[in-house]
Amino acid sequence: MGRLSVRELSVTYRAEDHRLTALDRVDLDLHPGRVVALVGESGSGKSTLGKALLGLLPDSAAVSGRILLDEGDLSGLDERRWNALRWQKISMLFQDAAGSLNPVHRVRDQVAEPVRMHRGLSSADAGIRADAALAAVGLDPSLGTRFPHELSGGELQRALLAMAMILGPEFVVLDEPTAALDSGTKGRIGRWIRQAADAGTGILLITHDLELAVALADEVHVLYLGQVLETLPGPELLTSPGHPYSLASSRSVAGLDTHRDLGGVRGDALYRVLHRHPGGNGEAAEHAHLVGSALSHAECHLPARGCLFAPRCTQGVAECSVEEPELEESHGRRIRCLRGGIVTELRLQGVAKRYGEIHALHPSDLELRAGETVCLVGESGSGKTTLALMAAGMLGPDQGERIFRGRAMESWLRQDRQFFARHVGVVQQHPARAVSHRFTVFEIVAEPLRIQEPRLGREVLHERVIGALHDVNLAREPEFLQRYPHELNLGALQRVCIARALITGPSLLIADEPTSALDPGVQAKVLKRLLELQIEKGLTLLMVTHDLGLARKVADRIGVMQAGFIVEIGPAVRVLNHPEHPYTRSLLRSPFRSESARPARAAMEGGHSWTEPPSEEPCSSTN
Amino acid sequence: MDARFDPHAGLWRRLLADPWFVIGASLAAVLALLILLSPWLSLHDPHDMSHVPFAPPSGSHWLGVNDGGMDMFAELLAGLRNTLAFGLITGTAGLALGILVGLTSAWFRGWADQILMRLADLLLAIPAVMILILLAAFYRPSPWVLALVLALLAWPTSARLIRSQALGLRNQPHIAAARQMGGSNAYVIGRHMMPELFPLYLIAFAAKVRMAVFMEASLSFLGLFDPTRKSLGRTISDALPFYYLDIWWYWMLPPILLLTLLIMAFTFLAVSLERFFDPRLRAAWAG
Repeated sequence: MGRLSVRELSVTYRAEDHRLTALDRVDLDLHPGRVVALVGESGSGKSTLGKALLGLLPDSAAVSGRILLDEGDLSGLDERRWNALRWQKISMLFQDAAGSLNPVHRVRDQVAEPVRMHRGLSSADAGIRADAALAAVGLDPSLGTRFPHELSGGELQRALLAMAMILGPEFVVLDEPTAALDSGTKGRIGRWIRQAADAGTGILLITHDLELAVALADEVHVLYLGQVLETLPGPELLTSPGHPYSLASSRSVAGLDTHRDLGGVRGDALYRVLHRHPGGNGEAAEHAHLVGSALSHAECHLPARGCLFAPRCTQGVAECSVEEPELEESHGRRIRCLRGGIVTELRLQGVAKRYGEIHALHPSDLELRAGETVCLVGESGSGKTTLALMAAGMLGPDQGERIFRGRAMESWLRQDRQFFARHVGVVQQHPARAVSHRFTVFEIVAEPLRIQEPRLGREVLHERVIGALHDVNLAREPEFLQRYPHELNLGALQRVCIARALITGPSLLIADEPTSALDPGVQAKVLKRLLELQIEKGLTLLMVTHDLGLARKVADRIGVMQAGFIVEIGPAVRVLNHPEHPYTRSLLRSPFRSESARPARAAMEGGHSWTEPPSEEPCSSTN
Repeated sequence: MDARFDPHAGLWRRLLADPWFVIGASLAAVLALLILLSPWLSLHDPHDMSHVPFAPPSGSHWLGVNDGGMDMFAELLAGLRNTLAFGLITGTAGLALGILVGLTSAWFRGWADQILMRLADLLLAIPAVMILILLAAFYRPSPWVLALVLALLAWPTSARLIRSQALGLRNQPHIAAARQMGGSNAYVIGRHMMPELFPLYLIAFAAKVRMAVFMEASLSFLGLFDPTRKSLGRTISDALPFYYLDIWWYWMLPPILLLTLLIMAFTFLAVSLERFFDPRLRAAWAG
């Protein structure tokens, strides 16, 4: 069987005063029967790669590297040789279906064109082949007699697919095959792509639709500014992305399966531009720049070496802008990141706690990766709070290890308590007890800063406190700042607690029922703000809640706890849609869900006790 | 600060409705006024021996003159002042030690707690009065030194009271939060633990002052202080040899009465405050 390989492929477009880097040393392998997806935002070089595979790059493109078909080098082929390959060996479905068909010719004739050109068949014979090809993609051959403008977008797209497949090529490049199509058509085309792959065609799927990529691809390459940032098995892109960019991208998917609120990648899409500046001695020197897209013309100087994603990355360190990462193999995927992909912020291994005979927490593992939201759900007394307190360093486990940023938590607490405190914010359960009743609102919110930066000026302190209160949607009047906790309602107090936890700008926020006392409207705003912070600053969130609906909206991963065990933990999509543990399933059968409202009423009349508000956790677990 | 923002706003109202508190506080206030106004109240220097001995009360000598020719009223006020000063010094120093030890013990627990609490047990087993008598008899230290020595011997009761409450406080979420924010031990103890237990200090202080006042009166009665130092106990003991004369009502009774009132004032205050702040009754106060 054949193989289409791309090795160290770089493409640069020349323009008058600058050059644009479209691809930067990309490696890729297409095998028959496999779907490889290339995902990335606009300008990442996806289409350039597709065109390169067919020798269709414009003259302004400078290409280096090799494209190998069955070990034969395609680079440097002349146009005649390329023509022999196109359609027969490698074919392509171009982006923008309507534009790639000639409006004055009937669809059928255009679909038949490759047959006529390459096989020299008569128009009639070619037409028969075209009808067959159209039928294969589920189109009524009678549609072939129409003109392109008489077909719908989906029909055109399928006609083009038929055209791409008509000569039975070994490899097909599909550039955005489902863009702008409704979900039904998209589904049909998706199924067809999978069938074509199963029939032995090697497919390169170029798309910005991550859901499509995940559904179809055996392997996904995440492209950013011409570089592959991550290569991973398709299904894992949405459930366990390894690169910060993949994680941020995966949050931008508005799929039917996902429940989490949409996130995104911070900052704007950029282009890589090499500017030619006349040097002092007449020689032209080239400087690499990242140029913002149309909306923001902000230009930032790209260091000679360094990670391209660094300006938009939330976990960057100093060396990220100095040293260039390589694509490195780890755990069945390849990641281009100096820090080895998304770093682990906190890892709890086998932590357990018991109070006398009561096992508050059986040995449990929990890993928090930078920038993700993990929700712990379960009923009162299931050990959620115990686990959260351990993660916050406020409760020592009887056994097990806690690692924060690669170092034992005990060591942090002993030697670098201040650093740890600055980077880990905690919102405790029961806001009324979590603040000193002798402190005013100002003193409560300012306390972490006063402890950690005792030399901070009064003005700055005031500003920061106001900012923190603003973040949680609280009044900023001087009068409010002078209030005492007992003068506030529980909702305001809870937000004061959140403001206090966020004021030092922590990278990890551990929140125990942080919005339990808030009105739905305020809760929504506060959670939105937390998710915004996640996008902007890479905030890692560990949230304890008994509200599964809430977890559904914010969680990347959900851990379900029962009687001191984490009975199930995994990507939110999986836990919510395909729960494995019976307890999770019972949680998901909440009687208040609208589709099951009627059984709920029946249960209520039957006198079931679930209508009671959840009781408070036993004190022992908060100690 | 606006009274509206005072978390203890309702407390004063309720304290003022408690007869124990009102009586104790009024007594203490009257006695304090007597001391503060003594330069204007008494017409004579308490050490002036130029008056006619055994003179009965008159317009010039409201409570007569003693055997040494000294004005009794002036002597009484000076004695009250010295006795109370002794009590306050012991009370303050004892309370300070009690807070320090109690909070330290409760916060750090472990070996520090063990050592401090065993030391407290040891001191509780030693009769303070014996130590003071021996010290006073052999070394004749100044009353201030004795007051401090008494404080050194008397802190364990308040330390234990404070420690037992602080142990519970230690696990309060807001204390845990302050610790989590990176607050040092000193910060958490000083900023969070100490103010939280304020009512306990009042109880401990009143009890300590009462005990020290009684102790001072006893020691001076036994003649263990400098004989020229005025003290209520000393005045009583001076009057005793002349019990057969008709002087008891203006010489003997007033110091006994004053001492009783002084001790009563602090007893009543302690009882009242304890009722309000005793942890077992704390819920009523917090609500």
